[in-house]
Amino acid sequence: MKTVYVCSDTITGIFSAVYDAWKEKRSEESCGIALKNALEQELFCEYRQTEETASKAQAVENMIKKHLGRRVYWDIYHAALSEDGEKGDAILGTMLAARRLSDSTRIMEHLSHPKVEKVFELSRSVGGEAHSYKGFLRFKELVNGVLYSEITPRNQVLTCLAPHFADRLPLENWMIYDKTHQMFVVHEAGKNWVLVWNEDFDRSFSMRVSDKELEYARLWKSFCKTIAIESRTNPACQLNHLPLRYRGDMPEMANVL
Amino acid sequence: MYDKLNILTDAAKYDVACTSSGTARKGDGTGMGSCEQTGICHSFSADGRCISLLKILFTNECIYDCKYCINRRSNDVVRTSFTPDEICTLTMEFYRRNYIEGLFLSSGILKSPDYTMELIYAALYKLRKECNFQGYIHVKAIPGADLGLVQQVGFLADRMSVNLELPTADSLKLLAPHKTRKNILTPMRLVQNKAAENKNELMLYRNAPRFVPAGQSTQMIIGATPETDYQIIQVAESLYQRFELKRVFYSAFVHVNEDKALPARTDEGPPLLREHRLYQADWLLRYYHFQASELLSEENPNFNIMFDPKCNWALKHLEQFPVEINRADYKMLLRVPGLGYKSAVRIVKARRLGVLDFSDLKKMGVVLKRAMYFITCSGKMMYPTKLDEDYITRNLLSVKEKLPEEVRNMGYRQLSLFDDVRFGGNFGQKAGGVM
Repeated sequence: MKTVYVCSDTITGIFSAVYDAWKEKRSEESCGIALKNALEQELFCEYRQTEETASKAQAVENMIKKHLGRRVYWDIYHAALSEDGEKGDAILGTMLAARRLSDSTRIMEHLSHPKVEKVFELSRSVGGEAHSYKGFLRFKELVNGVLYSEITPRNQVLTCLAPHFADRLPLENWMIYDKTHQMFVVHEAGKNWVLVWNEDFDRSFSMRVSDKELEYARLWKSFCKTIAIESRTNPACQLNHLPLRYRGDMPEMANVL
Repeated sequence: MYDKLNILTDAAKYDVACTSSGTARKGDGTGMGSCEQTGICHSFSADGRCISLLKILFTNECIYDCKYCINRRSNDVVRTSFTPDEICTLTMEFYRRNYIEGLFLSSGILKSPDYTMELIYAALYKLRKECNFQGYIHVKAIPGADLGLVQQVGFLADRMSVNLELPTADSLKLLAPHKTRKNILTPMRLVQNKAAENKNELMLYRNAPRFVPAGQSTQMIIGATPETDYQIIQVAESLYQRFELKRVFYSAFVHVNEDKALPARTDEGPPLLREHRLYQADWLLRYYHFQASELLSEENPNFNIMFDPKCNWALKHLEQFPVEINRADYKMLLRVPGLGYKSAVRIVKARRLGVLDFSDLKKMGVVLKRAMYFITCSGKMMYPTKLDEDYITRNLLSVKEKLPEEVRNMGYRQLSLFDDVRFGGNFGQKAGGVM
């Protein structure tokens, strides 16, 4: 009989489920992880609710970093942020498969293993989306000088973006709102960033932009229009590199859409 | 400001190379900006090119008269210049809003090369030291400017480039009468030597100032002069080998001026496919261990328009195929059409841990519809195919990918199948007496 550990769709949840499965020394065939919101019950499975705690998650994080290395940890971490419902299962499968390698740090090279391949694919797509948003995200300046941005990512990329922008704009007050998952990253000048969720925010403040904001947005729009060479116009190529789903939050695409 | 930005953006748009890669730098917490090794694209313009840097000219008040350039002095266009302050404000405000990854500053020649270079230096100095900007800066070295100045600018920029403009010295003389090959290559050599010296310094003193950490690049115009593809990639190859350039950019000639020294205007637009083939060949030189002489020759000096250069090479060297995925060495894997260097690395690593099959390859990013004619997995081909040039050619062509409309729809009526008319073969007649 297979035991399926049910957890919430968070890093803490997934890592806690891994912790439980690992502790009971399950083999690859006899265990799995399912997400609460994407649960499809199967026959001949025992479903077990995971008790989610930060200390379990921390223990799993340390274990991965110690035995599989930091690079593998980043792949697993990225995969855990994915929108895919089977990510937990793939992560657990990958970790169990790593036990059978003489050098576990090479687990991500083992692409002929289906679970490893899945983690690889998820990590690549989450990493790709995070990288895209590093470029495609736009801030606007509000009346109080705060830089504000809204994005609509598929995966939970906020924690991948926050360190990047904290490094880049250390002396600015800025916040990014993830419309898909209703989460905020807030950064106060000179301090560390924090992730905020489950809070009811009145977002009407974001409509009041500073005087200069309109001016610079106008300059930027005209720059983007002017930089294109007419005789090379190629909307298919543009679409390929900049898919429509990113464009809703970009000022230079506002009237093109 | 609005008009000025428009004019000087419009004047800068024919510059290629909007990359922001090659430097990894953390912010130091006191200013604004950081750099990522891979570079970041911030937007894409209507022509499908990436917008990563604020690409502007310092001035378009140019004293030179290069035939192909929109800003030549004999053209009647609105002239204007930025001030260093304006450039700083624009860069900082755009950067804060995450519009851009940094600044790409080029310039026409105002008064003299030295004077222009000094203005550029002033702008960069202000941006780096006063605004404390730590983002990416790509700057053009002005040929003919004082080498001391070029060197100083190099300590402020991430990447420097000197435009080669045209592939050969003769073409340069013809179309850019105020520039000489020597003036272009001198600063290029200086940047190369200085960068090598700087590398040694950095080994001794970790905090020594860094000189163009992202290296130097150059660009040349394709299709304004009669050089063959073979000549062009030979030039590129020697630039990579002798000047250690990071990139050579090719820019399809865009008709902006009427001049008897330029090819006649046609309705065909810029030679984009040719540019594309050159970039493909360029990648083969830099990442795939190919030599220019393997791809083309004196007898066969232009690229095949139907196939990319690698596919073309493979079709002419069928005796080296099929390649066994589970055994072939890395360099041979690189030569298989449809197989990129990243998937080649993945294959080499993954096959140590298990036997690979076609379904695994697909997931690793191999383009099987092209690769399947050239590979075996555990001794088996994907489908029973023939290792025959005509057979593979026919099958690859039926996929019809990525070719422009006029090539895809080319019927039997067009006689010169492998001789693209746009490749400048009949340039001599068009240019008439000038040649």
